[in-house]
Amino acid sequence: MAIIGIDVGGTFTDLVLFNKESGVLEHLKVLTTPKEPVIGIMNAIEQAIDDLAKVDTIIHASTIGTNMFLGQIGIEPPKVALITNEGFIDIIEIGRQNRPELYNLFFSKPKPLVSRNHRVGVRGRIDKNGNIIENLDKEQLSRKVDDLCKEGIKVFAVSFLHSYKNPVHEIEAEKIIKDKCPDAIIVLSHRIDPEPMEYERTSTTVVNAVLKPVLSKYLDDLENTLRSSGFRGKLLIMQSSGGVSHIAEALEKPAMFIESGPSAGAVAVAFFSQLMSIEKALGFDMGGTTAKASSVIKGVPEITTMYEVGGKVHMGRLVRGSGYPVRFPYIDLAEVSAGGGTIAWIDKGGALRVGPISAGADPGPACYGLGGKDPTITDANLVLGRLPTKLAGARLLLSKELAEKAIRRLAGQLGLSVEETAWSIITIANTIMSKALRLVSVEKGHDPREFSMFAFGGAGPLHAVEIARDLGISSVIVPPRPGVFSALGLLVTDYKHSFTYPIVKQVDELSEDYLEKIFQELEEKANRILEEEGIPWTRRVFRRYIEAKYWGQGYTLLVPYYPNIRKIVETFHYIHKNRYGFMNYEEEVVIVVARLDAIGVTVKPRFPRRKRYEPHHVKPQTQRLVYFEDGWKLSNIYRTEYLEPGSLIKGPAIIEAPDSTIVVPERYEALLDNLGAFHISEV
Amino acid sequence: MVDKITVEVIKNAAIYTSEEMGIVLRNTAYSPNIKDRLDHSCAILAPTGEIVAQAEHIPVHLGSMSIGVVNTVRTLKKLGKNLNPGDIVIVNDPYIAGTHLNDILAMKPVYYDGRLIAIVANKAHHVDVGGSVPGSIGGKVTELLQEGIVIPPVKIVKDGRLDTEILRLIESNVRTPRYFEGDLRAQIASLNVGEKRILDLAKKYGSFALLEAWSEILDYTERYTRRLLEDLGIQGSFHARDYLELEDKLVNIDVSITFDKDKLTVDFAGTHPQVDYPINAVYGVTVAATAYALKSVLDPEMPMNQGFLRVVEIKAPEGSLVNPVKPAPVSGGNVETSQRIADVVLRALAEALPDKVPAASCGSMNNIMIGGIIGDGQTWAFYETIGCGTGGRPCCDGVDAVHTNMTNTLNTPIEILEAEYPILFTRYEIRSSSGGQGKYRGGNGIIRGIKILSDKTTVSIVGERCRTRPWGLRGGMPGQPAIYMVRYKDGRTKILPSKATIQLGEGDEIIIMTAGGGGYGDPCKREQYLIEKDLEEGRIDEEWIKTLRSNCVGRGQNTYPESS
Repeated sequence: MAIIGIDVGGTFTDLVLFNKESGVLEHLKVLTTPKEPVIGIMNAIEQAIDDLAKVDTIIHASTIGTNMFLGQIGIEPPKVALITNEGFIDIIEIGRQNRPELYNLFFSKPKPLVSRNHRVGVRGRIDKNGNIIENLDKEQLSRKVDDLCKEGIKVFAVSFLHSYKNPVHEIEAEKIIKDKCPDAIIVLSHRIDPEPMEYERTSTTVVNAVLKPVLSKYLDDLENTLRSSGFRGKLLIMQSSGGVSHIAEALEKPAMFIESGPSAGAVAVAFFSQLMSIEKALGFDMGGTTAKASSVIKGVPEITTMYEVGGKVHMGRLVRGSGYPVRFPYIDLAEVSAGGGTIAWIDKGGALRVGPISAGADPGPACYGLGGKDPTITDANLVLGRLPTKLAGARLLLSKELAEKAIRRLAGQLGLSVEETAWSIITIANTIMSKALRLVSVEKGHDPREFSMFAFGGAGPLHAVEIARDLGISSVIVPPRPGVFSALGLLVTDYKHSFTYPIVKQVDELSEDYLEKIFQELEEKANRILEEEGIPWTRRVFRRYIEAKYWGQGYTLLVPYYPNIRKIVETFHYIHKNRYGFMNYEEEVVIVVARLDAIGVTVKPRFPRRKRYEPHHVKPQTQRLVYFEDGWKLSNIYRTEYLEPGSLIKGPAIIEAPDSTIVVPERYEALLDNLGAFHISEV
Repeated sequence: MVDKITVEVIKNAAIYTSEEMGIVLRNTAYSPNIKDRLDHSCAILAPTGEIVAQAEHIPVHLGSMSIGVVNTVRTLKKLGKNLNPGDIVIVNDPYIAGTHLNDILAMKPVYYDGRLIAIVANKAHHVDVGGSVPGSIGGKVTELLQEGIVIPPVKIVKDGRLDTEILRLIESNVRTPRYFEGDLRAQIASLNVGEKRILDLAKKYGSFALLEAWSEILDYTERYTRRLLEDLGIQGSFHARDYLELEDKLVNIDVSITFDKDKLTVDFAGTHPQVDYPINAVYGVTVAATAYALKSVLDPEMPMNQGFLRVVEIKAPEGSLVNPVKPAPVSGGNVETSQRIADVVLRALAEALPDKVPAASCGSMNNIMIGGIIGDGQTWAFYETIGCGTGGRPCCDGVDAVHTNMTNTLNTPIEILEAEYPILFTRYEIRSSSGGQGKYRGGNGIIRGIKILSDKTTVSIVGERCRTRPWGLRGGMPGQPAIYMVRYKDGRTKILPSKATIQLGEGDEIIIMTAGGGGYGDPCKREQYLIEKDLEEGRIDEEWIKTLRSNCVGRGQNTYPESS
């Protein structure tokens, strides 16, 4: 039997297939068919396997939702009506009232997902304590819903002020909509995101409402096509939180699916870090246009709940107000514009800059010879001998001459030699990428020196060791098949569901019994879902957390739950000190939310390991000059097909793998283990 | 000599540090004003007080930060005091710190190997600093001391220890002491993180490399700005005048901008003298607003620090509205006068660079301060600013309902505000038909309604453009003026002037309608499909279309179809 993972990206559809009997992992790429992604998926499957009956699980990830919001694919978002309080219909458009760019007089805001004439205000009001201070005007609502229904609106988002305290008006509205418009899809804010802050909750509700019909049709199509092609196994949907779920569950919170592709890399890091017994790992994934960083503690990728669908990223951080906020747990990825194709240039002040513009795949770096004239990070790596002119797995020959020519233009303006300029490009790119890694470590209160770095993506291993040195990280791991590693994450995910319960009370008003009861209720809910997904008791794991803050603060910290409030409070002080450099014993601690992560552990593919190996030095295949921090060094060049577990390689050296190239600087050595991963550390 | 690339690396690291400082400040702060609205800014400065890195938060803070730090160090020197390792100094005296009393500037010196290598600083808007009205902005004040507690540069932290005596002294003078302390601790935490990161940099590159990098960062900005001006190739002087509302008078701000090869002079000669009214803008604010307008028009990527000011000279006559002397009150200077300074500079630039400047945005931050005393004698204070319409643009319409020019703070969620204060919101929506007419219309303003739930409540409004209107450009019409009003519990209504302080009780309602942006281009040339779309979405009404038509008729160039 086999497991297949499929990730539909904007340009390519990636497929990984793991054969359980032989332990062989296969990977292939086909072009995405944006108008009907299922066609691309089936193309990939047909190339990968002759009979779908041999596949027992398919795991599907995609960026399709995001691409729809960005208007990049042929799917028009459906028309959605928003039912909300009278006088407040524009909360969805005003947002947080800020503009996404401070100094751009020509800025625009993201196009509202609900056209203004489909925003309906209804009389009725609930106060901060959940008391009804004005009854819902059902007659007014009926009339307006009737009009919308007649106009052909099929999707309704409902979000009233303070509904997280008292949902009665939303429930009444649901009844009226069902009555007037029986086939309508209805999404209620208190069910999808029961927490205060009206804009974020309303936006989460609307995004889910927009996606629901699109995704439900898409997943139906996909499942039907697979079934009619003979697939009898399980179809699982990857979530942006890094877990998987069944289609029915996925459709409850469709926004969880939309950024699921990029989170796979972090999941792969989580899996391999556990396999290698590494407690704290940073993921560093550098591809053609961007580099992404993630952090994984004890096998669990770190999560954020500040996400904007279709939003812009500036220097690793999301630009607030540039997209559509969704308040769900997403794997926390910091992304910067630094990939192989990123362009280096000189600005008005005469400073060398790298990015954010990328030469993309076409024309690509100058050395591709496809007409690109601008020097890129790949060109710099080639000029410095870090990349071979013939990539092991590729048909393409890289032209050193063209790369040099492109870089020479900058060198002239900077008054540096070609290699100094190339080295400067690498250094600046490394600084930018360090920033992404700092965002997910230092800024979260973690000391990067306690972490191991997993370097993957086509270009990750070229830069990893030098970046790690900058951050004080002593161990770099290049996993097997670094170019496909991210997609591998699809095959090793667990079922994952998160549940929250709002508390918002000072600790001295709370008892352990009360908290215990809340968690038991959440676990009951979780058990029901895992039951439906067919996860046996023995494979269910529950993780309990508390979100806490000091009185007055607006941001919470995640604290592991202990059945002892004093212990929770002490842990909170400690985490606060770690993260922000101070604690305040005299201040009241407020428990804001109880959170339960429910995991259904899946059966993972087993990666074959040859049992024992002895570290031993090996002979290089060849030698060439490579430029490092202190100049040109005659370096040993290795090719992975000649290496075996235990191979020990001293820097300066370059290791060429079919889908990536590893740079081992002087004073470092790389050891190949029996999983096929290189462990690089300072000698 | 430190090489160019190391400079670039240090520069980037310093920018990241200032951003990280901002996040620590936001995440640990107590008042909605900082944690939700993000009314704070962070920067790294060279030992000489020149900014070398800053996180882009609030334009009015950033432009004034350096002036504040330099003045503070100078004031301490005069007193024979040094900035020692482990000290943190706070100051809010606007004539030193560079904005208004609400903004507490906090700074910490960073020493490495006994040498001062940098100063880390932040500025945060505290919701209340005492004075005659809750929120400390506005009211009928005639001098600085009526606006709140004036803190000269004092060491709130000495040798790493918080001086609780000073803290208690300040806290006894503000209406929300618990917030004050929480926010101040957040400012301190942010500085400590900044210091730590700069020390890491010093360990790696050495103190000399850092100092050299700082000076190269300034030189770089100077080169960049000169090159930019040369490339633009503009010669000549451009003038503009605009007005602020002061009771029944209007007071003028004048500007002349002179481009001369690679130099630029901005001169506010002719501006009205300072007034006994809280709309004077200290020099730091004037610099901030001018720099904002120049950067937005000339090049949004342009770096901003003293290197820029070596190329751009900003002259403001002493004793005027844009450079007052003590004890003129200034609380509204940074929120309202700053907007008008930006407007007038943009208006002058519209002559120099016609394709790059939109019509006027609403020209106000629409500041509302509400507070009072609740049952058991506890005082409360709440501050917010309300967005409005931006001006129509050479390419397209202005944007509806958003913060413009000198501010970009977030709103505080209604659900959070209602939970914290005795108020209930009645409306928050786009103010239809308020954008000025033009080929490209101005953005619409906002309507926000707040019902007061407690007696003994004081409401202050500091706004603008109730009598003047945001100007249009190239034939575009001005936007609708702002309307601030009260609807009393018994149904009576009263229109307020742009600056007012009133006492309200339970059940009274305050309604704010912010101004629309000016229109751009000939209203006759507005495309029919845009008119139809706006009408369908309720962004304009029939009345608006009628006026559009009448604005057209008589110009003899009526392309607007009569049939619609």
